[in-house]
Amino acid sequence: MMKAAIDPVTLATPFFILSVILEIVLARMGKADARYETKDTAVSLGMGLISSVAGLLTAGAVFAATLWVYEHRLFTIPMTAIWAWVAIFLLEDLTYYVFHRVSHERRFWWAAHVNHHSSQHYNLSTALRQTWTGGVAGTWALWLPLAFLGFPPAMIAIQKGVSLVYQYWIHTEAIKKTPRWFEAVFNTPSHHRVHHARNAIYLDRNYAGILIVWDRMFGTFQPELDAEPCRYGLVKNVATFNILRVVFHEWIGIVQDVVRNPRHALGYIFGPPGWSHDGSRETSTMIKARVGAEPAKAAAEDAREAA
Amino acid sequence: MNEAFFVQLALSAAAVGVLVAIAAWAKIAKPAGPLDDYKARGLFEYEFPGRKLDAVWVASDGAGALAKSGGLALVICQVGDGFAARQIPWAQAISASFKNGKLCVDLADIAAPRATLSLPSWPPKNLTKDLAA
Ligand SMILES: [Zn+2]
Ligand SMILES: [Zn+2]
Repeated sequence: MMKAAIDPVTLATPFFILSVILEIVLARMGKADARYETKDTAVSLGMGLISSVAGLLTAGAVFAATLWVYEHRLFTIPMTAIWAWVAIFLLEDLTYYVFHRVSHERRFWWAAHVNHHSSQHYNLSTALRQTWTGGVAGTWALWLPLAFLGFPPAMIAIQKGVSLVYQYWIHTEAIKKTPRWFEAVFNTPSHHRVHHARNAIYLDRNYAGILIVWDRMFGTFQPELDAEPCRYGLVKNVATFNILRVVFHEWIGIVQDVVRNPRHALGYIFGPPGWSHDGSRETSTMIKARVGAEPAKAAAEDAREAA
Repeated sequence: MNEAFFVQLALSAAAVGVLVAIAAWAKIAKPAGPLDDYKARGLFEYEFPGRKLDAVWVASDGAGALAKSGGLALVICQVGDGFAARQIPWAQAISASFKNGKLCVDLADIAAPRATLSLPSWPPKNLTKDLAA
């Protein structure tokens, strides 16, 4: 398999395993805030395991495409320069923001990403609840411009891995808030709890990978509010632990909707999740409007919290 | 795909098994507790805000509830230590199969195929009486 010489995810796997054990044991001893349900944990970890295999099936094609684009690059960026690593850190993280936002706002890509949000739990095992269908969804193409700019494919792969490993540790309720300056700049457990919550005010917020500054810049930031404890999962929670249903439900839902309403196929495929031609369902924008969780209100709460 | 890959995969699968066993041993699920009428109504209000409930039936083991709301049946079923909610046409709930004290409601959703509720009887014999109760 064609892989970068340094794969941060492989290197971090022992750390993933030990930290899950640590979180469970600390919670059991009453020393940390964490909830684990056996079947939920099994589904999360099983999805993580099979996702790594599923990723390999498309890895060759993705790598070949990246290599081809790199051969037609604009510049040649040296992997040994510090400035190049600073640049790819920022550009990769911005790419992740775009990927993540598209993955929530358009149903075709949501169908692949919904998996990660299908648990009603928020613990370290939830971080490993990864999609199997990301390769099919094609969002990996969003990283091709980095190769076109001239970043070596190995460098892009390493930075993607670094981002994934960074995002692992924030999937916990055990850490409440980090120092203020850190919350201001970086994605943290608190910010990402909001992202996993189904409360109306928290829907479609905090798309950040490593830096939360993108959400602040593009108006999708929402701080965690004491008055609004996070309820995790989906607007319509999955009512089964059947891993195949969890993984494929949104894809099957799209096919069913298109077969039933072929004239509205585009809306059902590329509209926002919850879109329907007859208004019988709700998108997150509609839910926010209904309960009055408008951006303006969120901004006011934000200001109050900051004060 | 080489031997090292399969060794790595087998080790990861074993690790998953160990972690799930530790999670089961720890017994640190959410203390959801069985539903009673009060809790069920709270949950219906959260899941279907503003919807008027004509009648509520709570499963005898507290693992779910069903409510009539106009032409709709609102269904809550337990999933692990949490709950999931769906709405279906009331007629669909009325015609759901009832055997040995278990009502099996087809939710017609890939992500929520069915809800099973323990109830003394179904369908409700006299809805107007139930509504008055
Ligand atoms: Zn997400
Ligand atoms: Zn996450």
